[in-house]
Amino acid sequence: MIELQQTAAALYLASGIAALVGLTLPSRQASRYAVVGLGFGAVAQGLAFATLHRLDTVPSLRSLSLFGSFAVWVGVIFLLLLVRRIRLTGLLAAAGPVAFLVVFLASMGLENPADSGGRVEGIVPHAHVLLSSAGLSLLGGASLAGLFFLIQHRRLKRKTTSSRLPSLEALDRVNRIALAVGFALLTLGVLTGPPWLYSVSGEFWSGSEHEMWTMMAWGIYAGLTAARFVGGQGPRQAAASAVAGFAFLFFAVVGVGLLR
Amino acid sequence: MKILLFGMSHRSAPVEVRERYAVEDHSAALEKLVALHEVDEAVLISTCNRVEVVATTRQPDAAILSLFRFFHRELGGDTPIPGGGELDDHVYEYRDRDAVKHIFRVASAIDSMVVGEPQILGQVKDAYRKALESGSCGPVLSRLFQRAFATAKRVKNETRIAHRPVSVARVAVDLARQIFEDLGQKTALMIGAGDMIEASLIALRREGLGHLRVVNRSPERAEALAARFGVSAHGLSELDGLLEESDIVLSCIGGDRAILTRERVAAVLRGRRSRPLFLIDLGVPRNVEPEVHGLDQAFLYDMDDLQEVAMKNEEQRRRESLAGERIIVEEEERFAGWLVALRAVPTIKHLRARAEHVRFSEIERFAQRLDLSPDQREGVELLTRAIVNKLLHPPLARLGAQTDREEGLAVLEEARALFALDDPGAPGAEIDRELQGDAIRRVDLSDWSQDDES
Repeated sequence: MIELQQTAAALYLASGIAALVGLTLPSRQASRYAVVGLGFGAVAQGLAFATLHRLDTVPSLRSLSLFGSFAVWVGVIFLLLLVRRIRLTGLLAAAGPVAFLVVFLASMGLENPADSGGRVEGIVPHAHVLLSSAGLSLLGGASLAGLFFLIQHRRLKRKTTSSRLPSLEALDRVNRIALAVGFALLTLGVLTGPPWLYSVSGEFWSGSEHEMWTMMAWGIYAGLTAARFVGGQGPRQAAASAVAGFAFLFFAVVGVGLLR
Repeated sequence: MKILLFGMSHRSAPVEVRERYAVEDHSAALEKLVALHEVDEAVLISTCNRVEVVATTRQPDAAILSLFRFFHRELGGDTPIPGGGELDDHVYEYRDRDAVKHIFRVASAIDSMVVGEPQILGQVKDAYRKALESGSCGPVLSRLFQRAFATAKRVKNETRIAHRPVSVARVAVDLARQIFEDLGQKTALMIGAGDMIEASLIALRREGLGHLRVVNRSPERAEALAARFGVSAHGLSELDGLLEESDIVLSCIGGDRAILTRERVAAVLRGRRSRPLFLIDLGVPRNVEPEVHGLDQAFLYDMDDLQEVAMKNEEQRRRESLAGERIIVEEEERFAGWLVALRAVPTIKHLRARAEHVRFSEIERFAQRLDLSPDQREGVELLTRAIVNKLLHPPLARLGAQTDREEGLAVLEEARALFALDDPGAPGAEIDRELQGDAIRRVDLSDWSQDDES
């Protein structure tokens, strides 16, 4: 399992390098290799998750390593689905190294016996972790697209030389789709949290820092999603909001846990 | 044999001079070129930016004079230079290494007016094809041009010399691609019906823009233009509605005041649900208020902006051309290596033939005096052949080993001097006459061993 995760990490790194080469030269062939590398990485990670359940000692569902690794897997699959329709070489150049870093660190964490907390049974705990990590991943994708949008927008406004980033329209489209799907998954993740807590402690709300921050992050994203799809928010404001919103969400879900 | 390049380009002659010497009938001109006594092989390159003859010759100075006369009489029609001056002021010549380097730079578009432009390679290939068809291109120039095409490919693939657009129209399309995902799905609105709009229509259609519309103060002119291109024509009264539906707006219309004010475009953007609008203002005075660029989803570029981006891109191409120059030096050295190999084989053959000739004539001379029996004669044959082979083996092996190296030129020259291969008074020189038919043997490479000065 660890070897498969590390193979996936290596493939993601190779994909990121190929995307960077494709962007710099620019070379369509290198960009194609980047997509293929990302695809093989996703397959390797999928096989890693498939073998997870056969292990005698599986990592805890609360394991940050597992959470991060799964989030990357969902994000990569999402990107692969989009890349068939939208020219996103610039995004791959950033997504590849990020995926490598998270999966590589996750594979080290999964190797650590202290991280193994025994098997957690039941659909609800699994649904909570998987939906939350998938939501976090897609909202991360929205923020990455938002960041690239802001860079590209600034370049066009400053009238500097031409760039090889994806077009504003493509980046805005990725941002919109990732926000819509990511918020829906995050909401489902949030909704499955209280039943899990109830099954463990007999109460739906414990008032922990994690719950407080997560609810605040969800509230912020609810506002951002409404502004984007109902309030007529412009693409640039939406891009900036996606970056800021993800920074808050990341802190709420991951940062607070690490600070404890 | 020397390689020469003689001609003029945008660097040495203005357009009115270049157009006077431009070649229309290639095959006739090539026929006249190879008919020149001093020219062995020739390729003629004639484009709007250059007229150049690449030739091989055994008499370089005489060939240069002949080529000068060819330009003056055959191409220029023996007429005075437009705008005064002499032909001397506008032509240049390159020899050997410099000529090879120049042709590599031309094919790689490093010597072009617009560095990295893609057309020149096709034009050089065309010139080479015509020379092959007319029979004026021999083995040396064939090899030279094949290497030039390979060099151009390397420069294109290994540098970013051609990656940024440098024409105003291409810059505009490139910018549109940075804003929009698929130009085939986009609508362009052309405001005006003049020559600039017509040229832009052609350029945008070539780039595969989905829908085109023309709007003008005078609907008749718009309709006439639209009919030629099969697009729709509208009057200025419909402008606001058309703006809402368009993604790219290209304006070049007369008038004292800007036709697209900030307020007007802001109102249009509100109706577009945050879809971006790319405005290109080619009008003088400007048709679009500069403040429009401050609107979030409006991207306004005027002629100066486009030219500035084009200039920056061109500057980038020039920087990239330095990497191209390194490739050219490498390739030029490879070509020199090939010429060394070309020279080494006949030199080895020549040396063997000389030695064999000397051996044979000495045996003949002494055999008559000594009255040798057939057995004795055979013994002497074997003995002398073994001596000659043993003596020649080290120098011949060394010559053979040098053929892939540029330094081999010096070794070849030394060998030719040491064995007096170019001395008609040396023993065995009679054999030279039999080797005269071998044109390759006569390749004179003395200049190739000198250091590169450029």
